[in-house]
Amino acid sequence: MTRIHPTALVSKKAKLGENVSVGSYSIIHDDVEIGNNTSIGSNSVIYNGARIGKNVTILNSASVSHIPQDKKFHNEYSLLYIGDNSIISDFTTLHRGTEVTGKTKIGKNVIISQYSHVAHDCVISDSVFIGSFVQIGGHVEIDEFSVLEDFTSVHQFCKLGKFITVQTSFKVSMDIPPYVFVGGKPIRFLGLNSELFEKHNFTQKKIDSINLVYDTVYYSGLNFSQAKEKLKNNFPDDEVAIEVLEFLNKSTRGIVGK
Amino acid sequence: MVNIHPTAIVSSKAKLGENVSVGAFSVIHDDVEIGDNTFITSHSVIYNGARIGKNCKIYQGVSIAHIPQISNLQDVASFAMIGEGTTIHEFVTIHKASKEGNFTSVGKNVLLMAYAHIAHDVLIGDNCIIVNAVQIGGHVHVDDWAIIGGSTPIHQFCKVGKHAMVGAAFKVVKDVPPFVLAGEEPMRFSGLNSVGLRRRGFTPEQLDTLKKVYKIIYDSGLNVTQAKEQIKNEFPSDPLVKEVIDFIENSKRGIIPR
Repeated sequence: MTRIHPTALVSKKAKLGENVSVGSYSIIHDDVEIGNNTSIGSNSVIYNGARIGKNVTILNSASVSHIPQDKKFHNEYSLLYIGDNSIISDFTTLHRGTEVTGKTKIGKNVIISQYSHVAHDCVISDSVFIGSFVQIGGHVEIDEFSVLEDFTSVHQFCKLGKFITVQTSFKVSMDIPPYVFVGGKPIRFLGLNSELFEKHNFTQKKIDSINLVYDTVYYSGLNFSQAKEKLKNNFPDDEVAIEVLEFLNKSTRGIVGK
Repeated sequence: MVNIHPTAIVSSKAKLGENVSVGAFSVIHDDVEIGDNTFITSHSVIYNGARIGKNCKIYQGVSIAHIPQISNLQDVASFAMIGEGTTIHEFVTIHKASKEGNFTSVGKNVLLMAYAHIAHDVLIGDNCIIVNAVQIGGHVHVDDWAIIGGSTPIHQFCKVGKHAMVGAAFKVVKDVPPFVLAGEEPMRFSGLNSVGLRRRGFTPEQLDTLKKVYKIIYDSGLNVTQAKEQIKNEFPSDPLVKEVIDFIENSKRGIIPR
């Protein structure tokens, strides 16, 4: 049973699941799919290309799947995915993809706080937390369980690994490897993200190997290519080392320094 | 043929050009003029004193010509002008001027991205790009072709010269001279905006002259007044150099240091 406020404008072509609710003065365009039990607050607009999962909460005045702010965009068909159980707060702007990837993707259990912006072609993985007023540029990738505190801004094409935290009000202009805590101006490595390790019940063995890997990366006096060699040779079977090595190899903007 | 959504509230006194379209739940007050082919999407409010040019695109939740954020201000008959071909993204706020008859002005073909704020009495030139969440204080001048990076606040009364580019997430508290890159904290000169200038058809000779001029200002050990004198002697008739000299002479807050 969908509940749509009499003042809301919902296109007949939009596909709404069971128990979807739409608040007053909200608008839902034609090419939209919304999963079961999702609720949308008042004054929000869901534009063409939105693919919203189940149990998603969208609060007031959000702009979902609007066209990218990109000069190369020429009204091509593209999509914006929002995974199940995510929360999208007031006044957020989530833009759909461009021809480069064709989609912007927001995972499951993601929380995006008020006034935050997710630009075209971003990939935000599951369980990421994005604070207030965070501005994320185009093509940014954020891996699962990471935390971006309030007022962070992220430069386009940056890659952020999993289980990282970016401190409040700093600018991310380089790639951030997994499991670290970063902050400062310019942005730099401040240590390992132990708080999240505890919260997510990491085993002592895993924490130890994270420690060893980042000793090599940041405290050994080696540059990144030497550190990569050393990781490859010293920890050939270590899960964390392989993960970090993979991240270092795919980094295009360079890794944050110490 | 104007195209007004049935739920939009448009004053019969407002002057709308040909082919203007107004989306759902938008409000247009009495003393408003809107040029041909401009479209306004949903939830935007255009207050008294707005003068919007032709071919503008105004997206969701935009507020134009709202009263200035000054304490104890009486509502005055002032204006906010938007030039032709300007694009205004979600939740941008543009305030009208603080004195009767004055105007806040945004030039032609400007791109204002999501959440940008343009305060009272601000003048923005043509072809500028104001990226997400840039907060521009009162009486600021941003000259033609300038680019302001995301999340950068600009202090009231500051000036940003032509073709200047200000980095993202820094803070402008002094005047940024024309043709330069500015960044870091506190904001400083970071070289000539060579890439931008080349894209806009400046010749290598012109770039060379500008490089020499900024070398005198920032690298010669002279103070700004002495540097100005030396530049006047060395380049007596170059129009580009005159632009730089004029900017420095009109600067009230002082130009950014090296």
